[in-house]
Amino acid sequence: MAPTRRDVLLASASVVGSALIPFGVAQASNNVFEAIDVFTGGASRLEGGLLIDAPEIFDNGGAVPIRVVAEGARRIALFNDGNPNPGVAVFSFGRFVRPEATIRIRLARSQTVYAVAEMADGTFREASQKIAVTVGGCA
Amino acid sequence: MAEPRPRVKLPRSIEAGVPFTVKTRITHPMHTGERHDSEGALVPRQIINRFVVSYNGELAISVDLEPAVSADPYVQFEMAVPESGHLEFQWFDDDGSVYSLSKRVDVD
Repeated sequence: MAPTRRDVLLASASVVGSALIPFGVAQASNNVFEAIDVFTGGASRLEGGLLIDAPEIFDNGGAVPIRVVAEGARRIALFNDGNPNPGVAVFSFGRFVRPEATIRIRLARSQTVYAVAEMADGTFREASQKIAVTVGGCA
Repeated sequence: MAEPRPRVKLPRSIEAGVPFTVKTRITHPMHTGERHDSEGALVPRQIINRFVVSYNGELAISVDLEPAVSADPYVQFEMAVPESGHLEFQWFDDDGSVYSLSKRVDVD
């Protein structure tokens, strides 16, 4: 049977996708986990309760939009593992503001972005997302 | 460097206790300290390193920024206020400058 247009599109999409995301050998090129430990004071981090809303593929590494939300968080910190320095931003929320923020960040290459939330009870949450950028931002 | 220009966008109408979106941006090159100019000289780091928003004098949100934040730093957040008042926005530059903007909030 001849391949349908749909088959061809799906096949080419997966080839493009795998070419863009060389994450099989992903390894931190900075001290991201040490930076996270400084933020948490070495406390362990639980999964869940913290959302990173960011594109999986983005063309411009110079301005990648990232939204973080953690209901009940006092602070949320953002980190990266592929720029020269792991820190990105730390948000501290007062009583008028929902524990949610959107910011635009630089990613020098495709890499993983980490968010760590300090909750009101002093515990920490962690979430991460891989982001592929087609043109790296000069970080 | 051109004088940084802060901007804040609020919804036209705000109701007491109802969440609304605040969009903020300031024009700034956010020099990372990792880049070289056309002569090959390292451009020294100069960024907005802190952004603080207060409502009637009380902290609403503060953000510590690193060089990984994009040029013309953009921060968006959601807030709700119980009554009319003043929103105060301050951006702190590595060079010691502070850029500020104030917005009156009149709840319906």
